[in-house]
Amino acid sequence: MSTMTINGKLASLPDDPDALLVDVVREALDLTGTKLVCGAGVCGACTVLVDGEPAVSCLMPARTAADRNVTTVEGIGAEKLHPVQKAFMAHDALQCGFCTPGFIVEAAAFHDSWRAAKGTAVPSREEIGAALSGHLCRCGAYDGIFRAVADACAGRFDGEEFVPPRMEARDKVTGSAKYTVDIHHDGQLEGVILRSPFAHARIGELDLTAARALPGVSAAISLLGDDRIVRFVGEPIAAVAAKDRKSALAAIAAIKLVSERLPSVIGLDEARRADAPVVFEKSTRRKAGNVSEGAGAPASWKGNIRGPSAAFSKKPKKVRSWIDSARSANSPLLVEGTFRTGTQQHACLEPHAAVARFEGDRLTVHVSTQAVFHLMELIAKRYKLDHDKVRVIADHVGGGFGSKAALGVETTTAIELAREAKAPVRVAYDRHEELSVTGYRPAAEMKVALLPSDQGELKALSFTAYADTGAATNSTIAALARLIYPAEGKELADFDVISNLPAGAPFRGPGGPPMAFALEQAIDEAAVRMNIDAIALRKRWDPDPNRQRLYDWASSLEVWRNRKPVAAQGGRYRRGVGVATGYWLYLWQPGSKVEVAVKGGRLIASTATQDIGTGTRTVIADTLAREFGLEPHEVEVRIGDSKLPEGPGSGGSRVTASVIPPMLLAIEQLKAAIRQNAKRQPVPGSNAPWREMLAASPDLAASGVRPEDSRRTAPGVQSPLKQAGFMGWIFGWIMRWFSNLAIGAGVPSSVQVVEVEVDTWLGHVRVVNVHTGIAVGRIVAPALARSQATGAVIQGIGYALYEAREVDSRTGDVLSGGMEDYRIPGIADTPMIDVHFDQRGFDHVLGGSVGIGEVATVPTSPAVANAIHHATGVRLTELPIRPDRLVAALKGRAAA
Amino acid sequence: MTPTAMTATQASEFRAAGTDLSERRRSGVSTGPLIDIAAAPDMIGTHWGADGNLRLGAFTTIAAIAADARVVAAYPGIAASAQGLATPQVRHFATLGGNLAQRSRCWYFRNPHIACLRKGGPDCPARSGNHLYHVAFDLGPCVAPHPSTMAAALLAYDAKVMTDQRSSLTIGELLGDGRNGGSDNALLPGEMIKSIELPSPLQGERAFYKRAISRTHAEWPLVEVCARAVVKDGTFQFVRLAAGGIAPVPLRLAAAEAAVQGKQASASAIADAAQQATSGAKPLPMTGYKLDLLKGVVRDLLEKIAE
Repeated sequence: MSTMTINGKLASLPDDPDALLVDVVREALDLTGTKLVCGAGVCGACTVLVDGEPAVSCLMPARTAADRNVTTVEGIGAEKLHPVQKAFMAHDALQCGFCTPGFIVEAAAFHDSWRAAKGTAVPSREEIGAALSGHLCRCGAYDGIFRAVADACAGRFDGEEFVPPRMEARDKVTGSAKYTVDIHHDGQLEGVILRSPFAHARIGELDLTAARALPGVSAAISLLGDDRIVRFVGEPIAAVAAKDRKSALAAIAAIKLVSERLPSVIGLDEARRADAPVVFEKSTRRKAGNVSEGAGAPASWKGNIRGPSAAFSKKPKKVRSWIDSARSANSPLLVEGTFRTGTQQHACLEPHAAVARFEGDRLTVHVSTQAVFHLMELIAKRYKLDHDKVRVIADHVGGGFGSKAALGVETTTAIELAREAKAPVRVAYDRHEELSVTGYRPAAEMKVALLPSDQGELKALSFTAYADTGAATNSTIAALARLIYPAEGKELADFDVISNLPAGAPFRGPGGPPMAFALEQAIDEAAVRMNIDAIALRKRWDPDPNRQRLYDWASSLEVWRNRKPVAAQGGRYRRGVGVATGYWLYLWQPGSKVEVAVKGGRLIASTATQDIGTGTRTVIADTLAREFGLEPHEVEVRIGDSKLPEGPGSGGSRVTASVIPPMLLAIEQLKAAIRQNAKRQPVPGSNAPWREMLAASPDLAASGVRPEDSRRTAPGVQSPLKQAGFMGWIFGWIMRWFSNLAIGAGVPSSVQVVEVEVDTWLGHVRVVNVHTGIAVGRIVAPALARSQATGAVIQGIGYALYEAREVDSRTGDVLSGGMEDYRIPGIADTPMIDVHFDQRGFDHVLGGSVGIGEVATVPTSPAVANAIHHATGVRLTELPIRPDRLVAALKGRAAA
Repeated sequence: MTPTAMTATQASEFRAAGTDLSERRRSGVSTGPLIDIAAAPDMIGTHWGADGNLRLGAFTTIAAIAADARVVAAYPGIAASAQGLATPQVRHFATLGGNLAQRSRCWYFRNPHIACLRKGGPDCPARSGNHLYHVAFDLGPCVAPHPSTMAAALLAYDAKVMTDQRSSLTIGELLGDGRNGGSDNALLPGEMIKSIELPSPLQGERAFYKRAISRTHAEWPLVEVCARAVVKDGTFQFVRLAAGGIAPVPLRLAAAEAAVQGKQASASAIADAAQQATSGAKPLPMTGYKLDLLKGVVRDLLEKIAE
């Protein structure tokens, strides 16, 4: 048997020639700081040092490490934090943290060799970008990573440690933060799912006998629904639990099934044909998934087309006739276009995963989830268990973006396998599963007609959206166009097009980015036709007070003021500047509770919410500490556990606005109780009166429930639903009663100004500068809010330029199931990003803060497209704007 | 996903660093016996000849080639190609021989549940399916572009390949002409690449490498070209252009070479050569864009050389 030295200790290596270093490190040695993500050497999350050289351990045969020195993240700064670790903490160069260990290992190696060769010279962005090009971060923490690596190389972090802005940063940069995939109970089994190879089939016989009989296999179960029909490639059929993944895969291969193929249809165009095979018959429609954050209203179905959902229209018949007349009159002001967006995968770096364990009649499930409390309720309901018998835990979550808000197959399968095997079971999706069956932002085809009046006001908007929702429904794209740019009339129709593809899911501002991509380009085009500044036109047409302030900020930017006319340059490289607006609803979750306690002199805030990288832990800590005049690290935050008081799900940008108000109420009560119990009052003029009183306080607790907002709002601040009249009221009511989400007054908003450089020879777009102005009320944790803002822009750039799920249109196989084919932005694709927070507008919310996550990504793709138009005179109407599309569009112009 | 995996081959395979093979083993695309290469010293590193020629051991890592100052000086196109491929972590361990002998990156080939020509199947599913990243020079039944960046660079340098069974194979002899849909190279069963021989560079030659991709780094090339030229007295005296990402094998762009050979290194001559770069192209329905990119890359490189 051969050995390696790992973090200074000798460890044996397995004889199996197929054993990979990552598996030895993670499974055999339990060094779980090293993460397995892509399994293909693309993302770098598994990076370790082998004799000092960074290596992707997911591709390295374990035997290659024989007689070599291996260093994992746990070995970097084991005694004293490495300067790079301190710099990542200080610059908040991380969010969910799942990619962080890989970045730390590579950046530490880069730092050490850079310092050895160049002292404290500062590496350029290009040098850092090239050095870290083998790493991917889905949250888009690149802006902070650039600053962290540059400052560490400059020697600014050679000194002592200090307190980072993010509460759990130290655990994430050292690899000690445990995610669901890192959980390992004694006797834990590995669960693997057999998935349908067919886009549409009825499964007749399913024989699990041979699978069960294999060595190491403890359970095999059917996952078929009552109709035994699978409706997409990858739909679960059965699952097995075995002592390790290899045995589980062997068992999967031993499952026998007889299936009857059914006619299938793939994608938006085919599924709309009159003769297309129907995916859901009337009786099975309830099996369809949901791509929105809230419950949907009923809609009619015709074949695979569900819709129109057109409740938010206003005078639609008049709109049609105005637009028809304008078209017949060849009105130069009528802007018409068809826009298409691609299917965007969440691509969470931590896959969907669950570890289920029964102890007697009590069930504990670690889940990579956005909603520990709600998931506990759903599990209890599904398996008819009492709430106090089910516990859902998620200490750290490696990204969610909307895809981890529901009770997923990974969780139910882990539970059912654990029950049958009578042992703990982990189900963790592989990368192909993660990039095919865990949901996505549906592609869309949007037809837009926009008609200004002769007086230069917005007269009419017609917006029809067809969404490629797969085995799901409830896309809301066109309807969102009602809540911005009031007009005399709007004809808005949403259609779901159902086909034999996996179900879409909510994704960061569901419906928002595609709506903005189409509408904001139409507005831009109207400005060109009307010969008016594109920001000035928005200011005229969009009265929202938050955005009025953002428009003033945007129009004062130097890059905007110096803008040249459209397509003013020739030559290979052309620069352009574009603007776009985005908004999202301000949502909060009624019933959210926060308990605040003093225990042994220490302050503790508890609520059953979770931190998926967005910074919830820190928002709570900062608020609590501030109210008591303490430092955040002096207080404790307990989240990620359904046993805690009911907390909000991390979706709909709702967490901040759901937890701060009840926490402030609880803090007031606690302060009163502490005063009441105090034997002596603090010395007048004390610098830290509460610190003294807390130290002397008996253990006390108080809890608050999310109150309603004040009805006294600033002028012009109202619920966006007011614009939609009675239907808006109904929609608000549905959201509140069926989705436990309240839609508050005031509109979280973002205006972005983007500068691009277009390489007309190679069809390449480089986003050079982004200015993102955001109005979400008071900023609680500025460094983390900045991370959210920059990460949202980077994800928006991915949506604009790179990301598209690709499928085989005959078989329904997802082809972009690996990280090399599903292309998310890398660090070198990051522009300079200037973040402007306008902190007014939400004084009617206790604490004054609402969520930032979704709104911050909505305007990026249209701003990029508008900038490309400004640079080249060509309007790109289809996302992503890849080289193939850009060279074709540029040629189209040349030909015309 | 299906109980029946489509495996590429059950034949034994050599393993160098495993940066390609490990992923295929994990997915189940490749299942045959493994033979780990025990590299002899002469298979590693640079071995310079008396007249400035170079023998590169097949077990030399890509990063070592990219970082070798003498290689950078004598064969800048080789070094730049090495620096431009994959990611830093992969380059640290991946070998030159492995890069040449790697298998297709086609998303049908890499899916263990889909049959294709490379896996002994009856036809090419990419041809009639989604071939967005596939060939624009349709030379054979399989439409996946050859993945080896180093092969294109070596083609530009007239390199010869030494194996344990044969000597002095051209890149064309090593990889075939693209008409064999069943394999990624023309190596014999059990044949191993030992080293690569590069003729000594020409007096005054310059060389550059460029790949067109959607992002900035770390992406398989849509189009890539390694260009060498000698420009003397403002005239192209020698031009070599080899392209990857566009055909089942790396291609010499002979028509483009001929278009500037002996011509003044002017913008118009370069633009003309760029137009000629697509001579003989046969794009698929989804790959016409690669011809535009190919013209752009050739123009970019020739302008750089002529600077």
